[in-house]
Amino acid sequence: MREIVLQTKKLTKSYGRSTALDHADMTVYKGDIYGLIGRNGAGKTTMMKLVTGLTDPTNGEYSLFGKTGMAADREKRRIGCLIESPAFFGNMTAYQNLRYYCYQKGIADRRQIDEVLELVNLSDARNKKFKTFSLGMKQRLGIAFAVLDNPDIVILDEPINGLDPIGISELRETFRRLSQERGMTLIISSHILSELYAVANRFMFIESGKVLKEVSKSELDLECSRCITIGTDDTAKASNILERKLGITDYKVIDSREIRIYDEKVKPNIVNKTLVQNDVDVMKIHESGVSLEDYFKQLVGEVKS
Amino acid sequence: MINIMKADLYRIIRTKGFIIFWLVSLFVSLTSIANHEPGGIMLGGDIDLNADRKLDIIQTGMNLVYYFLLIMPVFSTITAEFTEHTIKNTITSAVSKGRFYFAKTLFALVYSLGCFLCANYLFYFINRAVNGSKYSSPLGEYSKVLFGQLPVFVAIVSLFIFLAFFFKKGAAFNSIVILSPLMYSFIMSMLFEFDSAKKLAEKMMKFEISSMIGKLAIGCSHSYRINCYIVSAVITAVSCALGYLIWKKREV
Repeated sequence: MREIVLQTKKLTKSYGRSTALDHADMTVYKGDIYGLIGRNGAGKTTMMKLVTGLTDPTNGEYSLFGKTGMAADREKRRIGCLIESPAFFGNMTAYQNLRYYCYQKGIADRRQIDEVLELVNLSDARNKKFKTFSLGMKQRLGIAFAVLDNPDIVILDEPINGLDPIGISELRETFRRLSQERGMTLIISSHILSELYAVANRFMFIESGKVLKEVSKSELDLECSRCITIGTDDTAKASNILERKLGITDYKVIDSREIRIYDEKVKPNIVNKTLVQNDVDVMKIHESGVSLEDYFKQLVGEVKS
Repeated sequence: MINIMKADLYRIIRTKGFIIFWLVSLFVSLTSIANHEPGGIMLGGDIDLNADRKLDIIQTGMNLVYYFLLIMPVFSTITAEFTEHTIKNTITSAVSKGRFYFAKTLFALVYSLGCFLCANYLFYFINRAVNGSKYSSPLGEYSKVLFGQLPVFVAIVSLFIFLAFFFKKGAAFNSIVILSPLMYSFIMSMLFEFDSAKKLAEKMMKFEISSMIGKLAIGCSHSYRINCYIVSAVITAVSCALGYLIWKKREV
């Protein structure tokens, strides 16, 4: 069984009458690259602020490495993060800023500074003052800060913002290296679905403070891929007919009333005819398949309706 | 907590405030030493600058200049974290909100008072070396006067720390701390104009910041000294407690 490194249970944050996060449940396993997907103001940053201790929850709780309460607070040292825009002292260089945080975190080995600067391709700018940095460089320094003391979990809030296409692809590679070479668990938020899809292996969709869905990449692929959706009240009999009469094996019983066939060669009219001929009531049958964006829009639409 | 303080020391010596503090402090001290006259700032406090005391003691009576100079260490230590938004880096990785408050408060107090004492002793030793014993008192006597002022400066720095955590914004913090003693003097002088408020104005005059600093250095009654220390202790305690309570409830 995979180790859970971070779990939230009914985590809620209210500011006066408005609720920024509403009973949010999230489970992050060791080694995950976990993508938090939501529009601006959906509650992604609030979720990150809560688990990093920047703000206190109104209700609910979270566990870090299986620990809750004060014990979880002590485990926060194992988290590295970049929340909202990267912030450093403008009058100090990249190296000096990271050295300042080395002192704060009690890191004695100064070589780590050059190591992380190299990781984010900022070695050439180590002696440049932060105030002279471009937005992309600032983002990269923020990531260097987050991984400075080799944390077990890295939380990055909108790290792609402000980066050019080459910068984004380099960052994608950095995330993979952090996950594969250093065994770090990454939690990354973004409103750019395609970018998160390219790196993450698990996703959480969030809207108006509510968690819409938590899915793995394979589940998401299934949800979004082209398929024939059959609505019936006897899924057991229907699946039996699909296998025996039509030889279809690439299908999935979604719930007690829905089956999805992913085999692209299958024709809906033949499936319909065969099921009806074998006394299976077909309430609906249609072809579906959506893009990530459409899938997200559907989720948001379901909640609003 | 020690790590936070070490980090702050590493950073603070790279700030403009650090350089300005020592440049102004040295300029005031050296001008005073060269002219054999006390130099600094007065705000109409009730002090006898012609008292029969040596230059170094009268100079400590002009220590109001450190009220303004000590804004810089507090600003660099606390307000800069808010204005540059770096506070979230510290709270998410190094310490909790509560510990952040204690570490910053302790560092700002120790560092500011350290600067105050160093600058004054620097003046003392340069003055003694340049002007000799004619213008300087024995070290023990000077130290007694200087440490006699320390509770007032502890209160001043504590109040600054409270205001830094309260306002968070650099402009608001600077405006309030710079204008406060001027406003106090202005209100006091206004009250002197009204016969019915004269008693209140006289009381205010007694505890006006430059009066307290000056009198504690040049000479005052035992009861006045005790009253000054009580006022300072109350300001220190209220600032620290109120600052912590407000800070704990605030969102970062």
